[in-house]
Amino acid sequence: MKRLLRLATGPEDIGRSPGFWVAFAVLVVYLFASPLWLNEFEAYNVSFYLLNLPMALGLCLLWGYCGVLSFGQVAYFGIAGYVYGIIAGNLVGTGWGPIAGELGGLAACVVVSAIFGYFVFYARVQAWIVPILTLVLTLLLETFLGQTAGYQWRVGNVQLGGYNGMTGIPSFQIGNLVFYGYAFYYFVLVAVVLCYFGCRMVVNSHFGKVMLAIREDPLRAELLGYDIRARQLGVFVLASVLAGISGLFYVQWGNYITPSQVGLVSAALPVIWVAVGGRTSLLAVAISTYALNWVNYSLSSAGNQYALVIIGALLVVVMLFFPRGIVVMLAETGFRGGVAKLRDTLRRG
Amino acid sequence: MEDLSVVVSILYQFGTNATFLLLCALGLIVILGMMNIINLAHGELMMMGAYTASLAYQVGIPFPIAVVLSFFVVGVFGAILERLVVRRFYGRELGALVVTWGISLLLSQGTFLVLGPFLPSIPIPGGAIDVGQYSLSVYWLILIAVSVAAVLGLAWLYNRTEFGLHARATMQNAEMARALGVNTDRIYMLTFSLGAGLAGFSGALLAPTASIMPFMGQQFVAPAFITVVVGGASNVIAGAVGSSVLLSLVRTPVGFYLGAFLGLVALLLAALVIIRLMPNGVSAYFQRWSDRRSRPTL
Repeated sequence: MKRLLRLATGPEDIGRSPGFWVAFAVLVVYLFASPLWLNEFEAYNVSFYLLNLPMALGLCLLWGYCGVLSFGQVAYFGIAGYVYGIIAGNLVGTGWGPIAGELGGLAACVVVSAIFGYFVFYARVQAWIVPILTLVLTLLLETFLGQTAGYQWRVGNVQLGGYNGMTGIPSFQIGNLVFYGYAFYYFVLVAVVLCYFGCRMVVNSHFGKVMLAIREDPLRAELLGYDIRARQLGVFVLASVLAGISGLFYVQWGNYITPSQVGLVSAALPVIWVAVGGRTSLLAVAISTYALNWVNYSLSSAGNQYALVIIGALLVVVMLFFPRGIVVMLAETGFRGGVAKLRDTLRRG
Repeated sequence: MEDLSVVVSILYQFGTNATFLLLCALGLIVILGMMNIINLAHGELMMMGAYTASLAYQVGIPFPIAVVLSFFVVGVFGAILERLVVRRFYGRELGALVVTWGISLLLSQGTFLVLGPFLPSIPIPGGAIDVGQYSLSVYWLILIAVSVAAVLGLAWLYNRTEFGLHARATMQNAEMARALGVNTDRIYMLTFSLGAGLAGFSGALLAPTASIMPFMGQQFVAPAFITVVVGGASNVIAGAVGSSVLLSLVRTPVGFYLGAFLGLVALLLAALVIIRLMPNGVSAYFQRWSDRRSRPTL
């Protein structure tokens, strides 16, 4: 227990002071208590903002801590979602179908990412090839799922549904306990908090230190005797599983999934969450993911066609003026220091 | 005669596939070879080229001139982009990828908001000629010739002009080139502008074969990137030509028997296998071979 605590409070994330942990505890208690004053619909919305966190944390590990950028996290999001839909949809009424679906979805993520990662990492390709090929994988998956309209594209009782997507996906269920409304909110909240602590322990463990070493200097890490190919592959698979967890939550939340979830626009979103927050900090990514999902949800439910322009502009501005991320910069320099630094950047640029 | 027409038809299929890949990837690989960054807004630059050509065609400018116009319009836009944004990301490959992605989202959705969901398409120039029971499109035959000419033009530019000499020097060792008086900053800008212009040129050439929409760039993205990954960055021309020929050998039979989508999947699988065997792409392989050949025998 003590070792786990030491891992969770280790040096590789912002927010280590006692004050921070008090604030963190208050936040978690607040989130756990909020169904007291939120109605079921609002709690449902909050679970939507939360459910993307595992995917963002996975990309943060991969890009910020391991130095491998992937544009294809949504591919694993989609794979897990569709596989869950197929398995759980065929086992409706058994009570254990959703659990089998979850395991199947995550297993599919592991298999696909391991095969893909083997070819990429064991070839020791240059850094820019991984994001390009993951993006291509995502686009192909979207094209494939888009053309699965029609009755011949079904697995058992479940139709893949082409561009209309798969509908009627069962909610999560253990035995007779069905997770929807408040129960689903708690389910997601507990899982997200566990994911956050899990990632924090990973980055502070020995494995995490090696990960950082690979990011800083792959050649030197390799000369110290670490098999960087296997480590990169390991982190890649871990990140794909985290993206898969988000995908599972998504289909359990909305009971449907469409190919646009693995499209080009969706693929941009995790990268934006991580870039805006600051890829070198799990906490910053968690904050920005929650905030941006809230903004995006409000914008798109107002039918705003400027959402995509705003996303693109945000990405350009952040990369130009806040290359380390807005949240990380604010955390390190404070608000006033951040403004001074921004002015400095603008003057130099 | 019957056998001959089959052979011609197969050659035509390979030719069009290789030309398509080459046109998609040409601008991208020029930028990659110089700066080691991938321009993710490439598809949108192609879209801009198609838009320029379509708008010019509608006001009565002949199509060939519209294509040339697209090259210059998108080239100038590329130069502006390089000055304002891309310049700050040299040496930060992943940052450059992310920022150009942001630009691509801005460009496609911005075009959608300003110019609406589509433009009138350009009719395919030229008719068809019949060889046996097959009919070949004259326009695609012209495209094959144009892409060969474009590659020869690039080869001339890189091997016979002062710009080419400076560009190759910068590619090999930017610091040393600077020390010897090459204005590498200017070379970077011109190369990026050339790459963007080529994207616009290809977009305009492919415009008659596609529907002209703000998001049309997406359909070129996957083939272009796969071609570039297989080609590698060591030698621009060898990379582009070698990988588009190699990949068309994979895509043509699979696409013919199993459909266009599986043709694309076969491209991705082929790319994975090829980079596993040649991590730096076809061009590195070619470069090693030509280095060995040019080395004086002892």
